[in-house]
Amino acid sequence: MSSSQNGTGESSSHLDALLTRMKSAASPLREVLREIHAKYASLDDGNVASYIPELSKANPAWFGISAVSVQGQAIDVGDYEQQFTIQSASKPFMFGLGLEDHGREHVLSKIGVQPIGEAFNSITLDQVANRPFNPMINAGAIAAADLVKGKDYPERVTRMIDMFSRYCGRTVYVDNSVFTSERMTGHRNRAIGHLMLNFDMVSDQLDETLELYFQQCSLLVTCHDLAVMGATLANSGVNPITGVRAIEAEYVKDLLSVMHTCGMYDYAGEWAYRIGIPAKSGVGGGIVAVIPGQGGIGTFSPKLDVKGNSVRGIKVFEDLAQRYGLHVFEADDKKQSLVSQFSPPK
Amino acid sequence: MSKIVSIHSFRGGTGKSNVTANLAVTIARAGYRVGIVDTDIQSPGIHVVFHLTEDRVTHCLNDFLWGDCAIEEAAYDVTDAAIGNVAESDDRPRVFLVPASIKTSEIGRVLKEGYDVGLLNDGFKRLTQKLNLDFLLIDTHPGVNEETLLSIVISDRLLLVMRPDQQDFQGSSVTLELARRLDVNEVSLIVNKIPPGMDRAQLKTKVETIYNTEVLALLPLNFELVRMASSGLFVNRYPTHPFTRELQLVANALTK
Repeated sequence: MSSSQNGTGESSSHLDALLTRMKSAASPLREVLREIHAKYASLDDGNVASYIPELSKANPAWFGISAVSVQGQAIDVGDYEQQFTIQSASKPFMFGLGLEDHGREHVLSKIGVQPIGEAFNSITLDQVANRPFNPMINAGAIAAADLVKGKDYPERVTRMIDMFSRYCGRTVYVDNSVFTSERMTGHRNRAIGHLMLNFDMVSDQLDETLELYFQQCSLLVTCHDLAVMGATLANSGVNPITGVRAIEAEYVKDLLSVMHTCGMYDYAGEWAYRIGIPAKSGVGGGIVAVIPGQGGIGTFSPKLDVKGNSVRGIKVFEDLAQRYGLHVFEADDKKQSLVSQFSPPK
Repeated sequence: MSKIVSIHSFRGGTGKSNVTANLAVTIARAGYRVGIVDTDIQSPGIHVVFHLTEDRVTHCLNDFLWGDCAIEEAAYDVTDAAIGNVAESDDRPRVFLVPASIKTSEIGRVLKEGYDVGLLNDGFKRLTQKLNLDFLLIDTHPGVNEETLLSIVISDRLLLVMRPDQQDFQGSSVTLELARRLDVNEVSLIVNKIPPGMDRAQLKTKVETIYNTEVLALLPLNFELVRMASSGLFVNRYPTHPFTRELQLVANALTK
């Protein structure tokens, strides 16, 4: 009896998922995303990242847009299944793991939350507390990676991968050639690490921490994954597709705050002003953005502007923010419910 | 304002494709541009009624779903076979058909590889726009699959074809339940293949009571239609037949 009930429950949730998928396929947002995709696919500005050889192999034409609602509806257009390395878009999530492992007070003693107008790889610490300015620049991200607990290095890597897998709703993997490339050429990051070691801001396991950081940057994700990750943050930390909690609810706002103020490299202030939603970009070409309480949006296009953000990605968000009044400070009468756009109009 | 109408039956053999083809012609005759898409990819058939032979078909729905052509390139003007005697220059009436491939290899490819079902939606919208359609009729695969569910979601109206048969009665409630969960408001029933001697009024009341849904037409079991064996359009050959008159009621309900 109980097994047949389970059977029914499972098949009805399969059906729910199927019906949800059909509704998304017929939603107005899908048409809007397709229109936006077509509009910016011809935009050819920017350059593919080349600071490590592996990244420069990306096809500059790749372009995907994905949106996932807090109800788990997904809309994907373009090259949304193309894998690429997450790079800096991993940083807020690792900051979250650090908060869960050590609590807010300890983490803030090691990493600040202050935006700086300097490049993401600058070798600077705050003069008073000797902390990295924020977890979105490399120094802060290395300090955050250092905070990941585990009895040994393999366990720390596993915990990092498990955490990203919860956000994505699938097991994620490291791209070994990118990882090797990162660690071979990561002299600047090693320098940053050693500067922090000098001030006791990272532990003496620095070499392992740097390895962990290079692994984290080399995780393979898709544009769809980024949208699911964003939707998980929008949904108070619970992955809306799997129902699995990826991060304790109380720390979600910590992540969103630093994404909002520091997420887009030294374009962060401009982004917060023009687009006004928490987001994080990576030099692999990905951007993950969060519309709190509504959903996540991921974009992927490898050509970057001089600040390191995906050129087409920025355009997509400008367009969407305008259309739907996404800016967190937008006047109420201009805000639209993005969630309602995931289902066919009544 | 164009309307999308899905024609579905839970089980095979209800006469769905013949109903769709003849309904399309009946609507078009009232002065409309009507498109038909055969989304019955696994077992296509409606092209036969319109005499759309393989040598004329360069692209079909499958090619669109694989990104090999635009949907309108897979649409064929079948007005001549459907209505005949319409001047080249007349915009209305017109009937267009997007056939599905009848090549075994292409049917196999769809089953094996699948496709992005969202593309169907994009295709329906684009076709309606490009061909300036007043009505788009979607001939679906019997039972429940992705094409069917998507067609139901995007339809302004769902027509459910069933026979007066216990198996159909049971199956149709599945489709109606799905339609309800997909928030489709307008659902109507067509009862087909009613044997001679069955009390029509009683049948109508019974079906409407079971489903709490309106019955638009009661189509008689039609030996002339069987004899035609899908070689042409019934409503053209038998304009005063009860089958034709009942279909007219459906067309009226859709065009009012």
